[in-house]
Amino acid sequence: MISPTNPKCPTAPTAPTAPTAPTADLARRRWLRALALAPAGGFATVTAPSRAATKSSAHIVIVGSGLGGIAVANRLTRLLDGARITIIDRKEEHNYQPGYTLVATGVWPVGKVQDRNIDYQPAGVQWIRDMAVAFEPAENTVVTAGGQRVRYDFLVVATGVHLDYAQIEGMDVSAIGREGLTSVYPSPQAAQATWAAMQDFAARGGEAVMTLPATPLKCAGAPLKMTFMLRDRLHRAGTLDRSKITFESALANVFGVKVVNDNVLARWKTLGIDVAYTHKLVALDIGGRRATFTTPEGERLERPYDFLHVVPPMRAPDALKNSALAWQEGPFAAGGWLEVDKSSLQHRRFPNVFGIGDINGTPRGKTAATVKKSAPVVAHNLVEVIAGRAPDQNFDGYTSCPLITREGSAMLIEFDYEGRLTPTLPMVDPLHDSYFAWLMKYRMLKPAYMAVLKGRV
Amino acid sequence: MYEVWLVLNILWEIALGIWPLLLGGIVMWGVLMVTALRRPGARWRAGMPLALTAGAIVAVTAFLLVPGGTRSSLAELSYWVDWANLAAVAVGFGTVAALIAWPLLAMREPSRGT
Repeated sequence: MISPTNPKCPTAPTAPTAPTAPTADLARRRWLRALALAPAGGFATVTAPSRAATKSSAHIVIVGSGLGGIAVANRLTRLLDGARITIIDRKEEHNYQPGYTLVATGVWPVGKVQDRNIDYQPAGVQWIRDMAVAFEPAENTVVTAGGQRVRYDFLVVATGVHLDYAQIEGMDVSAIGREGLTSVYPSPQAAQATWAAMQDFAARGGEAVMTLPATPLKCAGAPLKMTFMLRDRLHRAGTLDRSKITFESALANVFGVKVVNDNVLARWKTLGIDVAYTHKLVALDIGGRRATFTTPEGERLERPYDFLHVVPPMRAPDALKNSALAWQEGPFAAGGWLEVDKSSLQHRRFPNVFGIGDINGTPRGKTAATVKKSAPVVAHNLVEVIAGRAPDQNFDGYTSCPLITREGSAMLIEFDYEGRLTPTLPMVDPLHDSYFAWLMKYRMLKPAYMAVLKGRV
Repeated sequence: MYEVWLVLNILWEIALGIWPLLLGGIVMWGVLMVTALRRPGARWRAGMPLALTAGAIVAVTAFLLVPGGTRSSLAELSYWVDWANLAAVAVGFGTVAALIAWPLLAMREPSRGT
């Protein structure tokens, strides 16, 4: 199944197929790449000791070109000499998804979360502009929508999640922004439409219903941020006294880390935000502005609303979910998440396969911050396997959630698999809302994201 | 070490976003410095206190205005980390202002009473 290359007997590098990009794009890429590499030279004294690139003629396929896929691609091009790297993804636009909540609450213009994937892919990587529709790990093959069968020696799965709005009867993603229906997750346009609807609602006030599904979520803080910010917008518009916000959680809590959950609930109690538990959103009447929830006892509850924030159930994309790469049993099987070892991020049954980002069936950790800490682990461990060695770096499940509590203030919460708070800067109090955390979210985290994308941090 | 590298990368990425402004500023400062260094009788020592004063004024102004410029307010500064962070940002602005003011002030003609 695996075909590791003996580093002592490297074969000649295989010439990669150049991506079909216009000349101007190539020139821009080279210029951006030169700029991107500059700090590595300028600040060489603070980098970890560099290691000679491992010689290999292996073909590595990365499925997905979000933050995780591109970050790993950038790292592998530096760690490997002679390997062929192929990225499979139809998406041309690169979205800074951590900024969606800022767009959806009127803090950022939508342009700040929109960019182009081609500007960040490393030179020499082949880009197949198509979607993966099937994984055949026994054959070391990925099949694309166009019928192409792409063979690999090593595979990195970085597909991200599937937003399963279809589980909510009557939901129409194209209706986001109308009739009080909002959702921050699907796209920059949806985030922008959500802000338009929020402004309209804040001007009049009324009944707001915020939802949370029971599945693993990417950016599990986003539903909480939207709730905090909606309350802030009502307060600023002077319509808070004729409004009511209810958070309908399908779980028995609103956040997976207990200390954070308790802190948020205490704040919401003070702010007058009600919480209902084990209420799962199952149906919508968009025109009639009514949402239907079910309880574990099977009871159906219909709720009228003037403003509704829908957080979709999330799962693995069909291609992954229906493949042998998905968990076959256990808590991650239902969502079809990638069966990786939570420490090495190597597939538990197919050792030439690794996972990065939201697709991993691991506890917690579906954020950009998770990729920041796990991309170096995946790239390193993959190179070890290519070299015929065992993976020797472990990921601790680090993730981060800059939890906005109102415009101008936030909490900078970082934690690991065990739910332990792990602040990067020891002097920062994770549960203390502050200007510093807000400034991080508003101005600093996108530059940090860009550095991760380029494979530097 | 990782935190230092992270911060340096954040600063680098911010600089990439405003590089025309930074480049213009550096060129302007270089021209000012060369002009002042070539000028006979430039009064570097005499210019220093005034340059520091200008820097201090800009730093105080930045301290007051930066929170509003980042869609927050001074009222949101809630503990020492906030104050220290804002002070560091303000000192950065003040330092840049002092560096620009210094060659300008060094080139000033001495006033008649001195």
